Amino acid sequence: MEARGVEELRTYEEINKKIKSGDAIVMTATEFIEYVGRYGLEKASKDVDVVTTGTFGAMCSSGAFLNFGHSDPPIKMIRCWLNDVPAYAGLAAVDCYIGASSMSETKPFEYGGGHVIEDLVSGKEVELRAEGRVTDCYPRESIETTVTLDDINQAILVNPRNAYQRYNAAINSSNRTLYTYLGILLPNYGNIHYCGAGELSPLYKDKDFETIGIGTRIFLGGGIGYVIGEGTQHNPQNQMGTISVCGNLKQMSGEYLKGAVFYRYGTTLYVGIGIPIPIINKRVAVSAALKDSEIFTNVIDFGVPSRNRPIVKKVSYAELKSGKVEINGMEVKASPLSSFKYAANIAETLKKWIEKGEFLLSRPVELIPNYREFKPLIIKRRELIVKDVMTKEIIIGKLTDSIKDVAKKLTERGIDHLPIVDSENKLIGIVTSWDLAKAIAQDKKELVDIMTKRVITAKENDLIDTVVKRMEEYKISGVPIINDSNHVIGILTTDDISRKLVRRRLL
Amino acid sequence: MKLKLIYSHENVKRPILAEIILKTNLLINIIEAQVTANIGEMIIDIPSEGERLKEVINYLRSKGVIVKEVIKTIEIDYEKCIGCGACVSSCPANAIKQNSNWNIEFIEEKCIGCKICVYACPIKVIKAV
Repeated sequence: MEARGVEELRTYEEINKKIKSGDAIVMTATEFIEYVGRYGLEKASKDVDVVTTGTFGAMCSSGAFLNFGHSDPPIKMIRCWLNDVPAYAGLAAVDCYIGASSMSETKPFEYGGGHVIEDLVSGKEVELRAEGRVTDCYPRESIETTVTLDDINQAILVNPRNAYQRYNAAINSSNRTLYTYLGILLPNYGNIHYCGAGELSPLYKDKDFETIGIGTRIFLGGGIGYVIGEGTQHNPQNQMGTISVCGNLKQMSGEYLKGAVFYRYGTTLYVGIGIPIPIINKRVAVSAALKDSEIFTNVIDFGVPSRNRPIVKKVSYAELKSGKVEINGMEVKASPLSSFKYAANIAETLKKWIEKGEFLLSRPVELIPNYREFKPLIIKRRELIVKDVMTKEIIIGKLTDSIKDVAKKLTERGIDHLPIVDSENKLIGIVTSWDLAKAIAQDKKELVDIMTKRVITAKENDLIDTVVKRMEEYKISGVPIINDSNHVIGILTTDDISRKLVRRRLL
Repeated sequence: MKLKLIYSHENVKRPILAEIILKTNLLINIIEAQVTANIGEMIIDIPSEGERLKEVINYLRSKGVIVKEVIKTIEIDYEKCIGCGACVSSCPANAIKQNSNWNIEFIEEKCIGCKICVYACPIKVIKAV
């Protein structure tokens, strides 16, 4: 295979010459897909010089560097707030970084750094409050004033991670509503939320990063920006590549930078990004022509509170965009969180800029890597797991036991929970002393009528913290510990936890 | 037709709604209910119009329940809406749709007034009214 980025069909110079003379053929990704469908890839890649893309979604790893200029007497800001939103001030005296997901100290979950950026870019006055460290250089101790975007020296949007090629879709198998960064997830597979622009997605339209790299000129927040490198968590081998970008906030617009809130999750910023894809070789053309039906992502179960959330289904963006996805024989409604309407506007706007000769393409100084190891965070201090704390002695009951047998077992062994197993020793229920009290009160005779059949369980390698949360959620005081084949290998009760944790602390 | 019912201290303990259901045979749906020992508020949906609806309203009023028609539940600022869709699948009643241009459409009749969309909207362009 030829080197990535080979300019076989046309060079950047040739494209820019055509843009300047008004002869460049530019299409949005949507138009290009249609053109390829009608005339074939061969002709399309010969005819079309540039394909424009767009995305407009929540991008938490966004923010802006601001330089306020010096007051008199001057201050070295060590803590700084904009409209009560903390900004990072560990830089030079009057520089700060306002991050999109930093939340207001007076209106958390309502207003955040993303809103500050939108307010600034929309020309609104923003309150600046700062505390300083008094030195001979900087005698001032604090400052309170207002600033507008025009008042300040530089305002540079610098986003360390934007424009995921595609993103996981989310569903919720649990029986409670979840409030996530992928929106409100209704219980029992109630809905699916998804992100990413599918066939308009900038980084999916050049999925091997043959044209995108350091120095690529892009549409950013309604103005012009640049790719400054791979984004954090760049994971291109799984089509989850990202870029970091920067641009002058002063020429951007509130239309394409919108502060946003995810209910009970936090604040963020919707960022508009459009990237022109020069059709420099056949592979780029193939990538740019990918349709929603050829771009896949995974529906992930957010009902499982772990880093490795299970994949419920692999789906195409076409299926997601249809509004309905079939999950376990049920039809589940799906809706996006990023705006396809704005994404299409961005691709269209970028196309117009290029057609008018206002926007030239730039050859990247260095391409974004198309492979990057993706590391998890290893917790090096050992955390308590179920195995460390659980009672390993197995006391169980059989379904054939009478209520009296069960009562005897509980009292003789001084326990409150008795897992019930079937003839193959697999867990099928649990009986607690409370269930026995109920049996007497309600005059129940059969074990099957009083035991809880939907047993909340844990595995021996689960974190104690996770299991405690589960016990709190279901308001229970003990969980049977099972192995992969559903055999009981122990029990963990609140007694075990308090007793062993106290002993650990005493040691 | 959706109605908001306000029960007072005197009538909150009486099964007025059950009486109406038995009397009229109508499948009345309780959409929202907040009932304490002293006061109760309910939003109900009555699958009926005209005379039969009047009958229900008159009966409720005769028992001292304050009855108000629920005309509007939410309002969407379409000018500011970015058409993302966060509200669409969050709505348990399928009262919000996206058309082929991804613009949002609100179907008033289907709305059950739960207000999830108000919370789901990241740009805060949906208001409860």
